[in-house]
Order: sequence, then structure tokens, then C-alpha cells
Amino acid sequence: MSLSEEEVRHVALLARLALTDEQVETLGAELNSILGHIDAIQQLDLADVEPTSHAIPMVNEVRADEPRPCLSREDALRNAPMAQDGAFVIPQIVGPGGDLS
Amino acid sequence: MMTKDRLLAVLERWEPVIGLEIHTELTSTRTKMFCGCPVAFGGEPNTRVCPVCLGLPGALPVPNAYAIEQTVLAGLATGCEIARRSLFHRKQYFYPDMPKDYQISQYDLPFCAGGEVTVEIAGEAASQRKEGGVDEERRVRLTDVGYNARIGITRIHLEEDTGKMVHVGGSEGRLAGATKSLVDFNRAGTPLIELVTEPDIRTPAEARAFAQKLRLIWLTLGISDCNMEEGSMRVDANVSLRRRGESEFGTKTEIKNMNSFKSLHDGLAYEIVRQAEVLESGGRVVQETRHFDAGAKRTSATRSKEEAHDYRYFPEPDMVPFEFDDEFIERVRARLPELPDARKMRFVEEWGLPPHDASVIASDLEMAEFFEAAVNIGGPERAKAVSNVMLNDLSAHLNARGIALSESRIVPSMVVELVELVEAATISSKQAKEVFADMAETGDSPAAIVEIKGMRQVSDTGAIEAVVTRILDENPNKVEEYRAGKTGLIGFFVGQVMREMGGQANPKVVNEVLARMLEG
Repeated sequence: MSLSEEEVRHVALLARLALTDEQVETLGAELNSILGHIDAIQQLDLADVEPTSHAIPMVNEVRADEPRPCLSREDALRNAPMAQDGAFVIPQIVGPGGDLS
Repeated sequence: MMTKDRLLAVLERWEPVIGLEIHTELTSTRTKMFCGCPVAFGGEPNTRVCPVCLGLPGALPVPNAYAIEQTVLAGLATGCEIARRSLFHRKQYFYPDMPKDYQISQYDLPFCAGGEVTVEIAGEAASQRKEGGVDEERRVRLTDVGYNARIGITRIHLEEDTGKMVHVGGSEGRLAGATKSLVDFNRAGTPLIELVTEPDIRTPAEARAFAQKLRLIWLTLGISDCNMEEGSMRVDANVSLRRRGESEFGTKTEIKNMNSFKSLHDGLAYEIVRQAEVLESGGRVVQETRHFDAGAKRTSATRSKEEAHDYRYFPEPDMVPFEFDDEFIERVRARLPELPDARKMRFVEEWGLPPHDASVIASDLEMAEFFEAAVNIGGPERAKAVSNVMLNDLSAHLNARGIALSESRIVPSMVVELVELVEAATISSKQAKEVFADMAETGDSPAAIVEIKGMRQVSDTGAIEAVVTRILDENPNKVEEYRAGKTGLIGFFVGQVMREMGGQANPKVVNEVLARMLEG
């Protein structure tokens, strides 16, 4: 399995990463090296093996439905680049976000 | 303007295939899905937030046990299989109302799958159903004017709700033309269940009936307040058309922003006619998301959130999987209350209500509970009389005022008392209407109203005879005509007697006395 340059750019776009041409090349090579390892695993016959989603053998970790203290609004907004009327302010939303270049 | 006839004409030629996605906030939990912030509606922006629901780095989400139980309860109530093994996945997309840039949701291992809900379609709504569908076996004709439709449930999964945005600078908070948006994360992280139906729905009326039935089930379970205006229950629909008799699916569109049952019905009706026009003019339906405008009664294409729906789901690494054993599932099952279908059956079988009356009462949780309370006070022998008062006077009163039953001044004991007063012939059923109007206005008990207004019905034969004698003496010509065979005049005499007695005479006794004295 090998990623094309186009696929690297697509994945970068989905992650909202603006990559230079050089970065596309470097990251492409690194990603392909990782996919190489996965290729090796795919050579094995794993038909009867349950997929592993978690490495630790634990299940049903939950918490009771009990309220805990919230942040103060001042603290909640402390790192916001912009705030107004107690809300986070975000700039105008334009289009589907495909314009990262 | 879309007319009903146009929809019916389109339905003759085309069979809609509709599936619903219904999101419901579990407002019954005290806290959010993955953190201890309280679940509530409204309030000052960003006052119920913490590092987890703000998606701050390093925060660790931990699932709310009660939210999971409520989801399993929802699954059991809709006939779903509860997964022995399940887990949360990350669904990744960017939108400013979702601070982590991924939503914790479920993917291929949801908590519940494979259920079914039956809806009853009666009256005018049933006329949308045309013969010639390929899966008629899912629809069972009940009577000449109604049928039952079985709607499959694909799955119910649990996820977290997003925050809320207000768009500033455009018109009426809409995104178009806005210069910036204000984000409030109070709602972010509220437990949200998403129910997906099979594409088993065939008419807008069935879609509406399904959503209403589901809301009734959720309310009966008490898992959510299901307030559509406040957005705690939200319905999206997928719809495509195919020629009658075909089994291949056409291209579907998704309709959003239908925030009432009426909008759901009208949005689908509009979209079905629109698609039929596109197809009949030789065009092709474009797979897209369309926004319903309830004011203009039309749908229009929206720009999509993500250019491609490439969510790159993967198992949520912050949480371990779930394994539910029989003991857990049975413990949740034990919490199931009597569900609406069973309740309706009981009203029919144990309390003798006609099926239609039982349906109407059982389809509204407040009405059903009111009715149960009244029958418990008055006894099963008064069930029919109580339901008559509820379906006639009470419903008319609530409709006229535009209020919910819980907002009215009528309580179950008042209806029982009214029924007893009529039963004991203390007041006539005509007087009962007056007493009802009065008690709805004042909240006074029927007995008190009858007492204060001196409304007692006169059943005393002697008193009625005295009045009848006078009326007959005053109208010798009419008496003669009656005796000569013009028996229709009985109505005239009854009217005279009733007027004379201020409407308080027992009509049955008046009729008996008149008949006897006119003959004599």
C-alpha cells in the first residue's frame, strides 16, 4: 500500500493542515513507511482474531451521574482569542473549508 | 403553493422511500455524557462548562453510567437487541460548535440495533397510502379508514451533543451574511441518542406518526423532555422516489431543520412533489442536504459541513469497551414502564373503551395519566363516561385555549365528580357542559358550581307535572293538533317546559310526563 501525493494533500486538508510542497514530500515518505508496517501485519492470516481496539483488558469504565463543579465563565473564556457577551467569538464561517492552500 | 391534491396525485405514480434519523437529548440525566457539568436548557452562555466539554488538552472524558442505561432502556422499549459488546468511536470533522474537533459517538458497535415500532395511521392521513408498494406485508389494514405500519429500527447509538452558535451580522441569526458567530458550550456534551430507522416509511403521514409515537415512548420512559422547540428532539429525514411497483431505490436527499411534527410532514410532502417534478421532467435528483423553510414551505440545498463526509472513525482511545451481561440487561428491563401499545390494549380490554377512544387517550401521555387517575378515583364502570368528557369537553377546552392539560385548572377528581352528578341525575348532560365550562374557568369543583348556581336538575315528577299542566292549558290548539296525530309537536312542548323550568328539568322525566298527559 502506498499513498499518492494527492492522498497526502487530502488527508492534510481533512486535518486542516497547510503543508508546503516539501512537507508533502517528507510526510508522504513517513506515512508510507508506517503503512509499510501495516502491510506486514496484513500478510498474516488474522481471520479468527478479534480486532483489538484497546491494549488494556478492561471494560465498562463509567462514572456515576453526579454533578461536579464547572469552570467559572472567566476561566472558561480565559484562553479565547476573542469573547463577547460571555460567548466565544469565531470569525465568519465561509464555505466548506476547502480553501486551505 | 403545494396542495394536498398535488401530493396525492404524485403518490399515485411514485412511491416515496423514507428513513428518519431522530436525535434526542437525554435530559433525564443530571450531568453531561462525559463530564460532571449539569444538563439543563438555556442559562447564561458558558456557565456549565469544564475542561472536558470544552475539549481542553489533557482532559479525560468518562462515560455517564446512567446515560448508557437510559439508552439501553430506549432500545428495549423499541424492540432492539442490546449489544453484548460495544464501544465509542471518534467521528472527526471540524465545526466551531464542537470544541474537540471530533465527536465521541458510536460506529459499528452501537448499544442497540434491530428493533421495530408499529404506528397506527387513521383518518385522512391514511389516504396518502396507495396500493402497489413492494412491501405491503409491513402494512396491516385495520379498518376501512386506517392501517398499521411496522417501521424497522436500524440502530440506536449514544453520542454527545454540540454547542450552540448565534450568527451575528446576518439576518435572524442565520449563517448567510453573518460576519461572526458567538459560541455557547453549555449544551456541548449533553447525552444524545440517535435513532436511525430502516427505509420502511412510505408517506409523510407515516413519518409524522412514527416521530410522534417515538416521542410518546421516550416520554413514557422519562428519558427526555422531547421538547422540539428547544431542540431536545430533532428529526432529519432521507427521502427518495421510485415508480410504483419498482424495488430499486432512487437517489435520496436529506432534509434538515424540521422542528415540529407539522414541519416534518410538510417538508417531506414538499420534497416528494419536488423530486417527482424533477424526475418527470427528465431530470435527475442530486444527492444533497436540503434545509426546510417552514414559513415558505419549501426546501433548498445547503452547503455541506464537510466537503466530503470522511469522518475517519476509530475506536475512542480514552475509553474502554463495554460488555453487557444478562444481569445488566435484565436490571434495565425491569425498569420498563407499561408502554403506550400495552396501555391502549388495557384501556380497551379492561376498561371497555372503544379502540379509537383508547388510541386517542393513550397517544398523549398527559391525557393517559389523567385518565388513569380519574378511573382510579371513579372506578372502571365510569371509564367510558370519563373518556367522553375528556375527548369532548376537555379536548375542546384545551384546543380553544391552546394549552396543555397540565396547564389547565381541571384535575381528574373534577371530571369524576361531574360524571357522578350526571349519573345521579343531579344535573342533565346539557347542564354538565355548562358546569364543565365553569370549572375550567374557575377551578371550582362541579358540586360547588351546581350548588352556587342552583343548577340542580329537577326530576321531581310533581313539579314537572305542574308545569306541564300549565303549558297544556296555555296551548289548547296545539294539544288538539297533537292528539289529532301531529305527534311531532312533542318537541315544541318539551321546549316550552324546559324554558319554563330554566333548563333544569330532567329531560327524560319531562318526556315521560308529557307523553302521559298528552295521551290523557
